Amino acid sequence: MPGPALGNASAGLRADNRCPNQYRNAVSAQLNERQIGAIRIEAVAKSYGDTEVLSAVDLSIEPGSFVTLLGPSGCGKTTLLRLIAGFISPSRGRICIDGADMAGIPTQRRPIGMVFQNLALFPHLNVFENIAYGLQLRHRPKDEIARRVAQFIEIVGLAGLGERRIAQLSGGQKQRVALARSLVLEPSILLLDEPLSALDLQLRKQLQVALKDIQRKLGTTFVFVTHDQEEATLMSDTIVVMSQGRVQQVANPSTIYAAPANLFVAKFVGELNELPARVTAVGTSLALQTEAGEMRVPASAAQGFTPAVGDAAALCLRPESLVVSSGEVPAHHVRLPAQLVDVISLGPVSRLVLQAAGRRLTSIVMSEQRPRDLAPGSPCSLHFDPDKARVYAPLAGASARAFGEAA
Amino acid sequence: MNASAERLPPSRLLLLLPVAIVLGLFFTSVVMLFSNAFIERGTVSLRYFQQILDRPDYQLAFLRTVLSSIVVSFSAVLLAYPIALLLWRAGDRWRNQLLIVVLVPWLVSLVVRSYGWIILLGPKGFINAMLAWIGVLDEPLPLMFNDFGIIVGLTHVLMPFAVISILSSLLAIESNLEEASNALGATGLQTFRRVVLPLSLPGAFTALMVVYLACIGAIVTPLLLGGVTQKFVGSQIYQEVMSTYNMNKGAAWSLCLLAISFLSLVLFKAIERRALRGQA
Repeated sequence: MPGPALGNASAGLRADNRCPNQYRNAVSAQLNERQIGAIRIEAVAKSYGDTEVLSAVDLSIEPGSFVTLLGPSGCGKTTLLRLIAGFISPSRGRICIDGADMAGIPTQRRPIGMVFQNLALFPHLNVFENIAYGLQLRHRPKDEIARRVAQFIEIVGLAGLGERRIAQLSGGQKQRVALARSLVLEPSILLLDEPLSALDLQLRKQLQVALKDIQRKLGTTFVFVTHDQEEATLMSDTIVVMSQGRVQQVANPSTIYAAPANLFVAKFVGELNELPARVTAVGTSLALQTEAGEMRVPASAAQGFTPAVGDAAALCLRPESLVVSSGEVPAHHVRLPAQLVDVISLGPVSRLVLQAAGRRLTSIVMSEQRPRDLAPGSPCSLHFDPDKARVYAPLAGASARAFGEAA
Repeated sequence: MNASAERLPPSRLLLLLPVAIVLGLFFTSVVMLFSNAFIERGTVSLRYFQQILDRPDYQLAFLRTVLSSIVVSFSAVLLAYPIALLLWRAGDRWRNQLLIVVLVPWLVSLVVRSYGWIILLGPKGFINAMLAWIGVLDEPLPLMFNDFGIIVGLTHVLMPFAVISILSSLLAIESNLEEASNALGATGLQTFRRVVLPLSLPGAFTALMVVYLACIGAIVTPLLLGGVTQKFVGSQIYQEVMSTYNMNKGAAWSLCLLAISFLSLVLFKAIERRALRGQA
């Protein structure tokens, strides 16, 4: 979050950039000063014919935050972004930007910038002209345009390349032009539609850091769409996990990882060991019948549903919660017999591939703590702290595969 | 000799035969064109070139051909642009069907289409009949057997080329440049002027050139819609070759036309380079 001074300064800048016939009049501008950069999405749905791509999405985005819409392809994240941009309009619901309802406001009058997946730079203009495009439309004086464009060329790290043609730029440089072209207009909100997906890993990592830096420096609200959970975790203040046209969870990256709201989020963000189970007893603790026998976990392990006896459930553990040891096992830990299949060293950490409860499980340990006396193929003792286990309702459509229902 | 060429079985060389025949005939005709133009009854003669330089009515024919072609190419491109824009906007589903509508005239022979224009433009044609019926005129308007008729006819015939050329450059525009422009604050009209139009200009230039070159050698349409005294170079050559059998004169005229086409092309490319300066 930007400090109040920075917030006011950029709001002031913005006010003098906007044409007087903007959607916002002077009075509401004052009232909404604190909402500049805020997005409120209320019960927004979008259907094409009978296909509902987005259903009843509610979302509130704080000014100055870096928000990522994360989900697999077809989850509706790009649709949501395009709704905010105004390229399409919602079938139902309301979208407010800077505190003003956007219904009927065309894209060109919304206080947004957008960076596209294919970048959509103007091939007939050079770097300078691309960045100056929006300022020229606003009829800013020539010297001001030159100054501002130069300033943003500097900010995105393209100094000296103003006269280059777009075709002469590398992928990363194009990315920076696309960013500068939008940011030079000081939009309240910058929408980014998977802009890094076409780049190689190295460049991608560089730009992730650069993007985050620029966002902090300018205090602009960034709404970033990606299907890459690592990218989302790295950059975001808030992650919005989406699936099948619905918001699954809205939280900061560490909460999303540590306390996923449902099985979809748990599986999509980070690695997960999932044991199909059936609830056999409820109370202060939960008894679950799995293929490796009955296990007891605290009742608080159940997330997002109230388990009843007989329910199908999924017992979930992050790889770092699964412990393989040949020594003492703490008394309250749940054990399951396992066989070590393979050990993969990933530098600082190692990955242990295990066969237990009729499936492959993964444990991740610090490399120096990995059990050296175990050879692949040997039986070992696998255990976990029941407080670290999570129990979810199986994903819709997957219940038939839950434990105990297999034919 | 490289190895792969050696491995080719000799029978494959037969595949080159059609090409050899076409190229052979083509070069023979070019050689004959030059010899006909410069050699008359065994002696070198520049008679017909001299004739063109001496006779103002011949020079006028060349001038008329060039000027009409310029007018036709501009009017064809101006008329084709909105059509191409419409086809572009129509989306994948409708585009091909509408494109067929644009190309349907090509299914009809050139002569038939020109007669169609006679029915419309002639002294007793549809337009004049209507105007007379309303009582606007006493004398029929001279809509054909003059340059106007030629220009209308050629524009009609050549416009589909322009539509295709412009459409192809519109289709090459990256799909969301318009959205990007909107997101930067441009209205639809501003986006057209600053993004779509400049990016489609190469196609428009190609269209101008294709139509101009097709026009400058036109024969049938000027013959049918033009006047007896308003000669078009192409029609004149046709008459020299087919009616008076004066191969030498026809060849001389053809060479002049060829030279003019070539010069136009060079000039046009220079103009295009300047106009599209900076575009990749």
